[in-house]
Amino acid sequence: MTPAPLAFADALPWLLALTVVPLALASVAALVRPTARLAAPLTVVGSVGAAALGVALLAGAGTLDVRTGSLVDGLSVVDLRYDSLGAVFLVALGLSAAASAGSIVGTRARSRLEGAAFPAFLLAIVVVLGAANGFAFLFAWELMALLSAILVIGLRPTRAVLSAGYLYVAMTHVATVAILVAFAVLAAGTGAGLGFDAWRAASPALDPRARDVVFVLALAGFGTKAGAVPLHAWLPRAHPVAPSHVSAVMSGVMIKTGIYGLVRIVVDVLGGGPDWWGVAVLAIGAASAILGVLYALMQHDIKRLLAFHSVENIGIILLGVGASLVLAAHGATTLAAVALAAALFHSLNHAAFKTLLFLGAGAVLHATRVRDLNRLGGLARLMPVTALTFGVGAAAISGLPPLNGFASEWLTFQGLLGTAGETAVPPLVRFAGALAIGALGLTAALAVACFVKATGIAFLGLPRSREAATAHEASRPVLAALVGLAAACVVLGLGAGVASGTLTDVARSILPAGLASPVPVAAVTSLPRTEGAATYAALAGGLLIVIAAAGATFLVGRGMRRARRAETWTCGIEPAPQFQYTGTSFAKPIRLFFRRILLPERRVEVEYHPGTRVPVSIHYRGDVTLVLEDRVFRPAHALGVRAAQAVRRLQAGAIQLYLAYIVVAVLVLLLVTR
Amino acid sequence: MSWGPAVTTIVLVALQLAVFTAFAPLLTGTIRRTKARLQGRRGAPLMQPYRDLVKWWGKTPLVGGTSGPVARHTPAVVLAALLVASLLVPFVAVRPPLAGWGDLFVVIGLLALARFAIALAALDAGGAFGGMGASRDVAISALAEPGLVLALAGAALAAGSSDLATMSAFGVHAGVGLLDPAHLLSAVAAGIVIVAETGHQPVDNPDTHLELTMIHEGMLLEASGRSLATLVFGSELKLVLLAAVFAAAFAPFGAATELTPLPLAIGALAGIAKLLVIGQVLALLDATVAKMRILALPDLLGLASLVALVAIGTQLIPLGS
Repeated sequence: MTPAPLAFADALPWLLALTVVPLALASVAALVRPTARLAAPLTVVGSVGAAALGVALLAGAGTLDVRTGSLVDGLSVVDLRYDSLGAVFLVALGLSAAASAGSIVGTRARSRLEGAAFPAFLLAIVVVLGAANGFAFLFAWELMALLSAILVIGLRPTRAVLSAGYLYVAMTHVATVAILVAFAVLAAGTGAGLGFDAWRAASPALDPRARDVVFVLALAGFGTKAGAVPLHAWLPRAHPVAPSHVSAVMSGVMIKTGIYGLVRIVVDVLGGGPDWWGVAVLAIGAASAILGVLYALMQHDIKRLLAFHSVENIGIILLGVGASLVLAAHGATTLAAVALAAALFHSLNHAAFKTLLFLGAGAVLHATRVRDLNRLGGLARLMPVTALTFGVGAAAISGLPPLNGFASEWLTFQGLLGTAGETAVPPLVRFAGALAIGALGLTAALAVACFVKATGIAFLGLPRSREAATAHEASRPVLAALVGLAAACVVLGLGAGVASGTLTDVARSILPAGLASPVPVAAVTSLPRTEGAATYAALAGGLLIVIAAAGATFLVGRGMRRARRAETWTCGIEPAPQFQYTGTSFAKPIRLFFRRILLPERRVEVEYHPGTRVPVSIHYRGDVTLVLEDRVFRPAHALGVRAAQAVRRLQAGAIQLYLAYIVVAVLVLLLVTR
Repeated sequence: MSWGPAVTTIVLVALQLAVFTAFAPLLTGTIRRTKARLQGRRGAPLMQPYRDLVKWWGKTPLVGGTSGPVARHTPAVVLAALLVASLLVPFVAVRPPLAGWGDLFVVIGLLALARFAIALAALDAGGAFGGMGASRDVAISALAEPGLVLALAGAALAAGSSDLATMSAFGVHAGVGLLDPAHLLSAVAAGIVIVAETGHQPVDNPDTHLELTMIHEGMLLEASGRSLATLVFGSELKLVLLAAVFAAAFAPFGAATELTPLPLAIGALAGIAKLLVIGQVLALLDATVAKMRILALPDLLGLASLVALVAIGTQLIPLGS
């Protein structure tokens, strides 16, 4: 592909400046003059700058290099290269962060430190996405992790928040160690320094075992950050306790840096690998998608529900990455590009709708002080705009046409179908692709169930508590952010043809060259095409749905105008809020259908009038078991603590004992070395 | 550019809309009639579903308790989703009226859109039965969806594309060659799922009048007037739609491969015959099979997914060469 004339090339450094300077200023402003409330507007400006930079890079298909003179051993202090892959995530960051920062315009941060940490955190992500060598990447990565930890924990944490925060800090550091070792193996194995470019050039000559080690470490490290099963334990704890605008960016963008890193290292730098890499990513993706949505369904805390959905969506993204790894390994580059484009598109889409949903949940939380779905209800009457936009986000994340979530899930289906159908791929691997199709189908249907629950229980029906009955609509900045994000979901849905075309080019630019497909492959287009390949005409089809719905509304609505209001049928009793299904009862069929996985627990305590069988009070408690956390990690952690305590006995504090240890050690050494 | 393709598309769209909308209530009528006969009753006239729709359409609607915009707009969304989906499915010809607009995954997505809207509307009224119906419906669909996706993916793999026109044309050309184990197993899996998705026995009883046993009906409990007419018509249309998807993927015999009058007439007759056969099978199930306990449904629908996987696996086994 010949590089297009870079119309935007001159503007690129300015756009980067427009991103970095306002974010840096915002951070300083929040530290120095928190009362001036300048940080949020500046953060919005910087975020818009990031999105503009991303769009300019994608439109011009160029790159932006920022490099200062080398300091030691060819290593620059600033070594950034923004290419089209980073640009995709820059757009996601800009979209999510502009709305999140916009929603807090006019409010005061909980503390100076947190006010300053938020824009700095965004800046760190901007650097991660451009870092062109291992050192710059890890530096920004670690900064991002620490700043987000500050935002999660805050200045006056409760015990629960502190425990969630510590778990997050611990897991994110284990992840960083994994990435560090992966980079070390790459640097040592290639002997080409720390630059990504040098690694890419030298990686084909790398020992296959070293490549496998790098892949496993990268998958573990980046998978932890992305919140992929089984390393997701931190995510559903940390995201809900952060303020909503922070949860929105963490869920919408930060976990996507894990996807970015995985694609950058495994697809771009290593250039893919053997089949088992792709199958491993597919398996982790399927497990994340199914377990994420199942656990989400079982939550009644609305933010925790959304956090588990992030695990699900990361799973869907990984299905695309896995399919593309398998296909690229067998030279089916055209199909591999479809699958990778699906992953990139879903990353972008998830940034839009998950930010929308978290900000909507934040608005509910602000208006009612309640995050328990079972105490909400009927909010659509009191918060109509929040309800409508949350509904749009819910439909988008459920993968319903014509919104954006459907377009990227459709592409993912095509990538998986391609994996199962590509004759060059070994049969067993093709079957893995077929299994993933089933997993994605199950996930999509469960997501519909979950978001009918989240939207319906919170916003429709009768209020289930006084707080819900006296809620109020969100403030103007929040509403503006919600409306903007809902519009983004619609635009990305109707414009999916353009978006997926651009992202397919991005995917092709980082995939190893292979054979182009001789037949037209599946594609999301704007207008219908008649080439015989599977097509989703996003713009034409979407508009047709809208027109048909408008026509039907006209027909049906005319007759409904003379409608009279009547009591809802509850077998002749006056309707009361308690008659309604709650979030917990709504999910009960699924809890029972999947009881082998969810292992539900049920405790009923009945207190009777003394001497009779007349109940005074009945307490019901139900919960599900998080198999990995409760049955694997917790026992493993307990075992680790016990082992540490056993080892501690060695530390008696007596100098004689330590000298004895030294004597034993010397003896052992003498024996071993002889 | 000639006007030919555009005119063809418009004619096919009009034809398919006419056949589907006119035929949908009749199919339900024939199912009810057969069911009644099998149960030793005379049953309602075949035209009764039309009369019901006309009756509801003219009635003054009653809007339940807390129902608001969601319940008001749901019928239109459901109707739009199902009508658009029905234009993506080949019926008379191997080419669907809107060729190149969407494949089988788009049809499945539009069905999900309809389900999402109905379930939300059911929660809008603030009663117990709406929640009960919605909760069960989305749960059963969650079990059914992997089976449906995998069964259709099996057929798509054989045809080489998830484009329904390609799949249908593949089937027509294969002819008797379609009678291979993989294809038949996929068809069985799809059949099980369609029974569940259209709310027939042993999953749901379409004629129940007891709120506690309702699934689909429970969600419509608060709808009345034109809303009810539209939603009931929607479920009748959904049956035709799913039957047409089944026919296009697994038994496209008779569908016209060229757009000339005679093949189109044959295709239309073959299409309607296939729908009637599918309807009679459903009626037979309704009359003879007892409703399963809801907790037994994972076994049935899990079976569908497994059968569909076996079908795909059979295709992937390398034979000879």
